[in-house]
Amino acid sequence: MKPVTQPRQPQLPQPGEASSQRGSARQARLLHLVSFFVPMLGLALFFLYPLALVVHRSFLQDDASLGLGNYASVLAMSHIPGVVGNSLVMSSITTVVCILLGFAIAYMLQRTTIIGRSIIMLALLLPLLAPSLVQALGLLFLFGRNGLVNQATGWDMQIYGLWGLVIANSMYALPQAVMIIQASLRHSDVRYYDAAMVMGASNWRRFVDITLPNAKFGLLSAAFVVFTVTITDFGNAAVIGGDYRVLATEIYSQVVGQMNFNMGAVIGIFLLIPTGVAFYIEKVASQRQFGGGSESAIPVPRNFLPARDIPLGIVSHFTGFFLIAVVVTVVYASFVQLWPYRMTLTLDNYNITTQGGYTPLWTSLLVSTQAAVIGVVLLFALVLAQRGLPRAAAKAVYLLAIVPVGVPGLVLGLSYVLSFNVGGTIMGALYGSALLIAFCNFYHYHSQGFLTMVAGIRTVPKSLEESVTCLGGSPLQGLRDAILPIMLPTLVAVFFFLFMRSMVTLSAVIFLITPSLSVGAVSVLRLDQAGFTTQAAAFSVCIMLLVLFAMGAMKLTLMWLESRGRYSVAEAKAA
Amino acid sequence: MTMRYLKWIAGAATGLAMIGTAHAGTITVYTALEEEEVAAYLEAAKEALPDIEVEALRLSTGDLGARLIAEADNPQADVLWGFAVTNILDPQIGDQLEPYEAAGLDQLADQYKADDNRWFAPVGYMGAFCVNKPRLEEIGAEMPRKWTDLLDPAFEGEVVMPDPGSSGTGYLMVAAILQGLGEEEGWQLIEDLDASMAQYTTSGSRPCRMAQVGEYTVGASLSFVAMQGISQGYPLEMVIPEDYAGYELEANGLMAGTDNPEDAKRFLDWTLSDSATSVYSEYKAVVTIPDVARSPLADDANLPENLDEVLFPMDFAASGKEREGIISKWRDTVGR
Repeated sequence: MKPVTQPRQPQLPQPGEASSQRGSARQARLLHLVSFFVPMLGLALFFLYPLALVVHRSFLQDDASLGLGNYASVLAMSHIPGVVGNSLVMSSITTVVCILLGFAIAYMLQRTTIIGRSIIMLALLLPLLAPSLVQALGLLFLFGRNGLVNQATGWDMQIYGLWGLVIANSMYALPQAVMIIQASLRHSDVRYYDAAMVMGASNWRRFVDITLPNAKFGLLSAAFVVFTVTITDFGNAAVIGGDYRVLATEIYSQVVGQMNFNMGAVIGIFLLIPTGVAFYIEKVASQRQFGGGSESAIPVPRNFLPARDIPLGIVSHFTGFFLIAVVVTVVYASFVQLWPYRMTLTLDNYNITTQGGYTPLWTSLLVSTQAAVIGVVLLFALVLAQRGLPRAAAKAVYLLAIVPVGVPGLVLGLSYVLSFNVGGTIMGALYGSALLIAFCNFYHYHSQGFLTMVAGIRTVPKSLEESVTCLGGSPLQGLRDAILPIMLPTLVAVFFFLFMRSMVTLSAVIFLITPSLSVGAVSVLRLDQAGFTTQAAAFSVCIMLLVLFAMGAMKLTLMWLESRGRYSVAEAKAA
Repeated sequence: MTMRYLKWIAGAATGLAMIGTAHAGTITVYTALEEEEVAAYLEAAKEALPDIEVEALRLSTGDLGARLIAEADNPQADVLWGFAVTNILDPQIGDQLEPYEAAGLDQLADQYKADDNRWFAPVGYMGAFCVNKPRLEEIGAEMPRKWTDLLDPAFEGEVVMPDPGSSGTGYLMVAAILQGLGEEEGWQLIEDLDASMAQYTTSGSRPCRMAQVGEYTVGASLSFVAMQGISQGYPLEMVIPEDYAGYELEANGLMAGTDNPEDAKRFLDWTLSDSATSVYSEYKAVVTIPDVARSPLADDANLPENLDEVLFPMDFAASGKEREGIISKWRDTVGR
């Protein structure tokens, strides 16, 4: 599975003195090698190897021989066809919802002057920075049988089941869809739109013929991500799904309920099937994008078209309002004495009595920073390297980079235990460390980060990089002066995405904590399991505040760096 | 960058390797006991065994079982503490334990310990209904005292119980009904009860958590879950079903290949000592050591005086063996 193809040496222009040219070529080759092999090594060690152990488990039969027995048993279970059908229906509906809403919102954020864009951006962060367990609680507090809405209206609305699950999973997946689609809408060239207008194309024609084809990769990737993350997600299915059983619940019931590891592994392998679509996505990715990305691209200006933007604004703001309402409910519940029976406000919930008190929060902060830094560096290197690869190798890289999204957290976490709980080796030394949790979190969300980066880097013309090296710049300078400035918003988006997910993800991490090392999301789970619902809400509010605060601090640092960076780029240009 | 990072890894690795070599006096304990209990027990253990540092990892029964199986090739724990007997009877877990005859083991009746001394269970918990009193009034039903009371049409769509395939709690309920009523009538009751069931949850505590916030009227769950809810002030009543109250034993055992058998054994001895039982009487509904004072929580929750009469005599070995068949028949019966 691991590609063995050597990366092709990038073709460099030939001006300048022979010696510097040779040095530059050597540097370019080295850069390329490192940026290819380091991320690939990471994928091999922290993803492929653990996955291989899961595959092995799926073939391991009760009598310790290898064979297809577990597959046969799973397929023979009478309820499995129904569960597969449920999963497909739920994920398909969620995908349609998220792509329609996600495109509308990404377009609104990127191309229009609709007011309140920053509010929508903030609203989209909320589902990423609250543990999904708590989000589900927020939904129940609002729409449960004894929730605020039913209490206020006297209805007996039922949220449990397919529709509740679609709503909860859409909340979880929508921000990820928007992140990817938005990256593909950045840096389009207005001149295509102008030319089309001159030729008499209507707004609608220009949208259909220029905007949509250029967003195709983003839309497709986003649809892929939404479908896969929702078909593998267990948390919402457990709390909101009611009797609507899906494959992710089935894995849980096999592994955690009945201790049938190998059967769980089989279903885990089934869940990898949708990731086969990655082949097609790679094909689209390799198609040349025409609408954006010449070095002299003039960004598409934002405008306001009432017929388009009034409905768009209503849809975006309604979605934003919904997301905010759920989180506000959680925040409100965190101050309530005993939801829903004693609604007096109190600060008692913030006196956390669970194991370690607030300490796990700081571990989360460390783990998440590690995951985000490691993740952005490795992913950026990988997308840079894959630009220069021959088709076959690029295809292999794509597939490998995209598969992690198909692995449920529970399976990933247990596969890490199988892989790293080995005494005496350097891999074994990682077991029980915060760093291993960071790696696990990064690879858990590897695919989303990778697809966002690819959507972003597709808009960077190769010629731009080449012109810098043409002017005598080294490849590193090309990276710094040509690619980095354009990629910066995407890098920042991926960094924060990894950071936020890492702060709250639970399903894999639960298997990697130790008596002395735990994270914030586990505390939330423990509080909820012990019935301290409002304390669980309070702890989540602390996580959300910490994430927002950390992001604010990082954003300020970034602005400061950027202001310095811009100066040096300008200086370089002047020279 | 890469170089610095590698150095970092190497540094971290050496640091961890040093932590890894367990210094004498520290034991790692894996437990599925409740958070609050663990804290109280460890406080008592610290007094009784001042020279032993007990590091406890607390996970739910299912998560801990998965973790133990995944770690089987290189077990990390020295002691398994308060873990469901039904799961221990699975050889994947049971084979990781080493027989040890703890001091004080003779106090326990035979059914509360393994023949080969791999495990012993001084405590346990019971299946229990969590009944939301305001909601019960709303739907105009009588307080249910046994499973068959839930057949009242007033309870239609008002009861939640755990899915026996995902939750040990759900399984112990189904097993108790089947063992008590016999195969045929047992399955009939399960099928009839299905009309009252709003949903089957994946977790054993969730039904009670749902009942306590008034989502449903009755949550079939566990005694300690109900007691937690009541002590937090929710308008709940705990009912131990008079007909088939399943229960589970929470067992302790020595992990084979422990680095620190001396201290691990001393800890296991402690779990049968007066120091430990004094805390059991504060928290546990089921204590198998004779003559232990009853917990005030049990009083609050109206637990019956003589548990032996209420508890259905469970055959753990049988129920463990039949598990797979029962779960698959259950799926076909309720069809959800």
